[in-house]
Amino acid sequence: MIATAVAATAEHTASSGMPQFEPSVFGHQIFWSIASFFILLYLLKTHVLPAIEKVLDARGNKIRSDLENAEQSRRLAEKAAIDTQKQLNAARRMAEQTIEEARLESARYREMARESLSQELAKKKSVALAEIETAKQKAMTELHHVAVDIAMLATEKLIAKNMTKTETNKMVQEAIAAIQEHKGQVH
Amino acid sequence: MSSTVTSTDVTNHAIAAVAPKMDPLHHFLVTKQVDVSFLGLLDISISNSVLWMWIAIALVMIFFRLAFKNPTTVPGRMQSLGELGYLFIHGIVTEIIGDKGRPFFPYIFTLFYFILFCNLAGLIPGSFTVTSQLIVTATFSMSIVAFSFVYGFYLHGSHYLKFFVPSGVPVLLMPLMVPIEIISFLARPVSLAVRLFANMTAGHTMLAVMFFYVITLPWWGAWLPFGFTVVFTGVEIFIGFIQAYIFTILTCVYINDSIHMH
Repeated sequence: MIATAVAATAEHTASSGMPQFEPSVFGHQIFWSIASFFILLYLLKTHVLPAIEKVLDARGNKIRSDLENAEQSRRLAEKAAIDTQKQLNAARRMAEQTIEEARLESARYREMARESLSQELAKKKSVALAEIETAKQKAMTELHHVAVDIAMLATEKLIAKNMTKTETNKMVQEAIAAIQEHKGQVH
Repeated sequence: MSSTVTSTDVTNHAIAAVAPKMDPLHHFLVTKQVDVSFLGLLDISISNSVLWMWIAIALVMIFFRLAFKNPTTVPGRMQSLGELGYLFIHGIVTEIIGDKGRPFFPYIFTLFYFILFCNLAGLIPGSFTVTSQLIVTATFSMSIVAFSFVYGFYLHGSHYLKFFVPSGVPVLLMPLMVPIEIISFLARPVSLAVRLFANMTAGHTMLAVMFFYVITLPWWGAWLPFGFTVVFTGVEIFIGFIQAYIFTILTCVYINDSIHMH
């Protein structure tokens, strides 16, 4: 009975004890743990890690290259913007210069036109004055002729009628009045 | 004391003999499939534990080979997952050790995925959880701590001993602090190994107990443990990942200590 109980207890202990603490299975597990680790290390180092690093490096290079391209494009865009600004400034300066030149040119043309007009007017004025003078001379000549005619007429009448002094003065006065009247008509 | 066997005893014994026996730790039993030894000195037998180490290795390789079967600059889903797995470990190593951690990256990468896939493969019904074996986790943890110790000496020579002398502590306290530091250092492999082993063992034991109830209870009582196993399997997946992460983080911390001597 006691022996049965001891055996049962031993069996119970054996069945409830932790199998991990059985020393007979330590040796090969130590060896194979280390060996398996290095086998996996070898496999990963030769087959997996290079493949992953290759992909990551390729992606890194691609990103780096894209960034460099983007940076280059940015620099080109900045340069283009600066060039455009310079061209705009140059165009603005040229436009201002052209406007200034046009302004000066127009002022010069205006001055020239004014001078030309002034000369033209002066010329026309002198022509007009000359024509007036000619007309005046002509009128004076005509007046002279009229006065001579009147004088001749008066002389003829004086001689013909043998007029008295009073009558003569009267006739002269009439002649002068006639001349004055004629002169007024000429002016 | 006389022993009288009654018919009731016989019946009870018979019922007990045929009844399902709860043995949640059976899952952790290592059984040698092929008994091999090298020159009678080195035991290199193939057991279920070793087989599942190899299966875990195969799963890691299948995952990454599938992920990078046709690698493209613009990644697909699997490739993104693979790259995420790479960058995750790369980030840990870079963040904790810095540039000097670059030579250790393949080792830490391997360590993380080996432990992760051992943890996750153990959740496959009928499988074996390699990381539930204390000797396996202890092999890794002791190797890591021993390496960090030797590497610290290699880099700093005898100055590495200052690592056990905390700075800013009064001289009078040194006889107390130095042994504490040494004990703390010696506890590293133990805590590292036991943490992973205990988590895996506890989780799988819990699942085994619940599965036992699923198959032994009547249908109207089985749904509760069944529901629990469903939820807890999800939790175990999370724990498997977290434990691999913690193991990796602490490995980086120990290597960083040997390099930078904090």
